[in-house]
Amino acid sequence: MGIYIQTVWLSGLLIEGIILVRSVLGRSLAKYPFFYLYIASVFASSTALYVIGIVKPLEHGFYWPKQYVTLFLGCGVIFEVSRHVFAQRVTLDRIARWTMLVIFGAIFLSVAIQAFVLPDWNVTANTADLERDLRIAQAIGLMTILLLTGYYGIGIGKNIKGMILGFGIYVGASVFSLTLRLFVGPRFNPAFGVIQNTAYLVALSVWMVALWSYEPEPTEKPPSSSGGGYQLLADRTQEILGSINDHLDRTVPR
Amino acid sequence: MIQLIISLLVGVALLASLYFFVRRSKPSAEGSAQQLREARQTLDSLQFGLLPNDLVHRIFAKEDLEYVVSSAPADVQSLFLSERKDIALGWVRRVRGSILELMRFHRGHARLYAQLSAATETRLALNFASLLALCRFLQIAVYLRGPYAAPGMVRTVAATAGRVCNISEQSLQFLKVKELDPLNNTPSSHGASV
Repeated sequence: MGIYIQTVWLSGLLIEGIILVRSVLGRSLAKYPFFYLYIASVFASSTALYVIGIVKPLEHGFYWPKQYVTLFLGCGVIFEVSRHVFAQRVTLDRIARWTMLVIFGAIFLSVAIQAFVLPDWNVTANTADLERDLRIAQAIGLMTILLLTGYYGIGIGKNIKGMILGFGIYVGASVFSLTLRLFVGPRFNPAFGVIQNTAYLVALSVWMVALWSYEPEPTEKPPSSSGGGYQLLADRTQEILGSINDHLDRTVPR
Repeated sequence: MIQLIISLLVGVALLASLYFFVRRSKPSAEGSAQQLREARQTLDSLQFGLLPNDLVHRIFAKEDLEYVVSSAPADVQSLFLSERKDIALGWVRRVRGSILELMRFHRGHARLYAQLSAATETRLALNFASLLALCRFLQIAVYLRGPYAAPGMVRTVAATAGRVCNISEQSLQFLKVKELDPLNNTPSSHGASV
């Protein structure tokens, strides 16, 4: 293990510890249970891996199980982010959740099909493939949330903003590094370690700053009934759009 | 190779999304009297300023071109065509801006509702996109072929503009909600007038 990786690793453990302590002191533990479960699991598994790395340097059997546990908890974090961001918007939350469920479902279906159809295929031999696919699913889940919040201009609080940013950096770096490792091969392993660990340290730093204290999500007052319901708004907008469209369509030189 | 490209594209798209996410400005308080008033002004400008028959007819009036061609030297004709083209382009640009404003208003208000219709919102988003693309196409067409390129264009513009204004008038009713009332003059209560 290089000095750089070791330094990053120990710094990561320190920051994870700080985040967990702050979650108790800042009373945000109960607000984001999945996120803190994710951090706690990474903290525990990273500590265990570090100790194993010292005692038995060639023992790598623990790495992939740890990756899968944190990967699934990471998916839970995205669901938690969606729940908080769209707390007042049932439909948008449903869209984000369904998008993620469909993508995860498609990945697991493809794994099941490969396992069934290809006799030589087994999940333990294709762990990097599966991890990359799940990271892509996480990336699409995050992008769905970012797209919907950007399109509707939904305000996001400091805590969730930090979670999205940190997680996004790590997932983005993972997608790149896992993909390149699969295509470049073992030659890419040293760079892979540096990218993964650095990205995770950056993510942890963002989380530490953003989650130092609890800040509730901004709430917006629902519109009064005097303005008519959503359907009226949508119908009116559609009507204006249709008329302008018709108008411009006939104006275009033919 | 396709897997590699798709994976890298997803990675790039995520990082680009994060970049815009970080740069995103704080959302304004939609539904405020100020917002409603701005939306009303935008739609008024679309209805009374940009789409009326007279204006559209004037911008694309072929009689003007015929008059200039018959009675002015070549350099004046050229100047006339150039200026009329600029006006037509400016008109399309402003219509496009108003559509963008309308889109912003709709999104800003729709987000306040817990229950949206995903189908309606998708349809509206596609309509906005196609309308904006149409405006762009119109800009390109006017830029390349000039405002007099299409025979019969003025007639169709004039005919449809009136209908648009009528529909827009009805459509604007949803902005006349109680939130606007405090903006109206009520000298007895505060003595100010907007």
